[in-house]
Amino acid sequence: MRAPRRVAGIILSVVCLAALLAPWIAPYSYDQQFRDSPAAAPGAQFPMGTDEIGRDRLSRLLYATRVSLALAPAAAAVSIVLGLSFSLLALRRARWTREALSGITTLSLSLPWIFLFVILRAELPLNTDPATSILLTFALMGIAGWAWAGRVFSASLRTLADADWLVQARASGMHSLRIASVHMWPHLRSIALAQFRALIPAYILGEASLGLLGLGVAEPLPSWGNLLKDLQHPDTIRANPWALGPLALLMLVMICLEALGSDTNNEVTV
Amino acid sequence: MNLHRPTPLSIWRRILTSLLTLLLVVLAGGFAAAAFVRYSPGFDVDENSWNPRISAATAEALQARKQPKTSLLVFYARYLRAALHGDFGKSESLQVPVAQLLHERAAISARLVFTGTIGGLLGGGLLAWLAVWPRQRILQAGSASISGFLLAIPPAVLALGFFFVQAPLALAVALTIMPRVFGTLRALLTDLRSSPDLLTARARGIGSRVIALRYVVGTAAPQLASLGGVALVLAFGAIIPIEALCDVPGLGQLAWKAALARDLPLLCAIALLITFLTAVVAAAGDLLSGSRERNLA
Repeated sequence: MRAPRRVAGIILSVVCLAALLAPWIAPYSYDQQFRDSPAAAPGAQFPMGTDEIGRDRLSRLLYATRVSLALAPAAAAVSIVLGLSFSLLALRRARWTREALSGITTLSLSLPWIFLFVILRAELPLNTDPATSILLTFALMGIAGWAWAGRVFSASLRTLADADWLVQARASGMHSLRIASVHMWPHLRSIALAQFRALIPAYILGEASLGLLGLGVAEPLPSWGNLLKDLQHPDTIRANPWALGPLALLMLVMICLEALGSDTNNEVTV
Repeated sequence: MNLHRPTPLSIWRRILTSLLTLLLVVLAGGFAAAAFVRYSPGFDVDENSWNPRISAATAEALQARKQPKTSLLVFYARYLRAALHGDFGKSESLQVPVAQLLHERAAISARLVFTGTIGGLLGGGLLAWLAVWPRQRILQAGSASISGFLLAIPPAVLALGFFFVQAPLALAVALTIMPRVFGTLRALLTDLRSSPDLLTARARGIGSRVIALRYVVGTAAPQLASLGGVALVLAFGAIIPIEALCDVPGLGQLAWKAALARDLPLLCAIALLITFLTAVVAAAGDLLSGSRERNLA
């Protein structure tokens, strides 16, 4: 199974590199309009054609990849930090604190994610500027998704808390911070990494669904989600099959992420 | 003799704790939705008041009507009291009683969710069986590839595809759930396949149908109950983009419209309903798996 992972790693590296270099390799800016060429067919000037208002599809795809690939891991990191913090908070506290935190986790897990996103994202004012909308969309996803990571961390921390070596470390007067950083973190690191890898695809898909519903990243800033909106118009796709480019790239990245995390995906995928 | 056998008292305590947690979760879910909407920017603004053709007095009157008259806590307490009597208020955006809207749309979503969940679990189970039971590399790779491919498609895109070719949308829900339960089912079947009970049953020449029902489904019933709960929660999540994009008049589309219109009574009711359903499903799964484990103890 090493070869598929290697191929997935190479493809992801190329996509990340292209996203990183978007300002230099994209033919135009993502919001530059060519009013004489709306919905233009692919050609020498516009390799993937233009959208309905004359913006270059290739440039927008490169910038959208940058947005989606940079912010999904950031949102996953927010979830991991929150999940770990809540789990640590519940570890050695009074019973009611543990019960309250457990209740909050159950509540977060009981609400379907997309429902939460729809409510939270719809609360933003209509005139939210694009940069703020990006940060808020992914921050909300990160905050809403902490419970999945939190539950896994809680279970692991409960097991670790009863370990003999931890009791011994405490008995020998070791400081809690040192115990956490030297002894516990190495055990939690692999769990955090597995959670991180599982959450990134979930957030990429989450943003795509929100974008399709018109609740994701605000125009004119592109993201995979808002580029997928073209899929609602079959005529556009028939006229220019390159409009399927964002979907193809999203699926390729998702498959590569899946291949890279194939040793950890026995859990229900969120 | 099992010294850890639970007493009837501890079982009742467990059920009561589950019910209390369920109640608190549902109340907190409804309150969270109410708070999100009530404190959202623009909640107290009536868009009609921006109309340049209306007089200043009318604009002021419209604004005054939109201003919240009570605190959020008072609103929520009154809302819950009325809800207990079956009155969920009136939708501010659709001007129809919320109970009527929920009643009209619940059946459509329920059909989509249940058909999709059952299809997803059966499809995921079939893929997992193909990956584990025949022990053929091509089937293992094939089932993992199908699952990975389906996992890479956003549910909303899947739904749009089905909508354009006029295929049943429940199939889109099933295909959304299928790859998400595949990993768990594959792991479960891998464990069961090499379990001593099953090996003994095979050695004794017990038929494959009995083995499948008694030793596979029977043994894995607690995990399957839990997984069924998770699949239902996933289906609730999947129906929002599916119904919104494919113009299906169900609860998902209603939630989307209510969120866009900042319709507080409607969002509260949907939040209460969906939190209640998902929490009940999760609690039932936990209780079922717990009781089964106790029976085995």
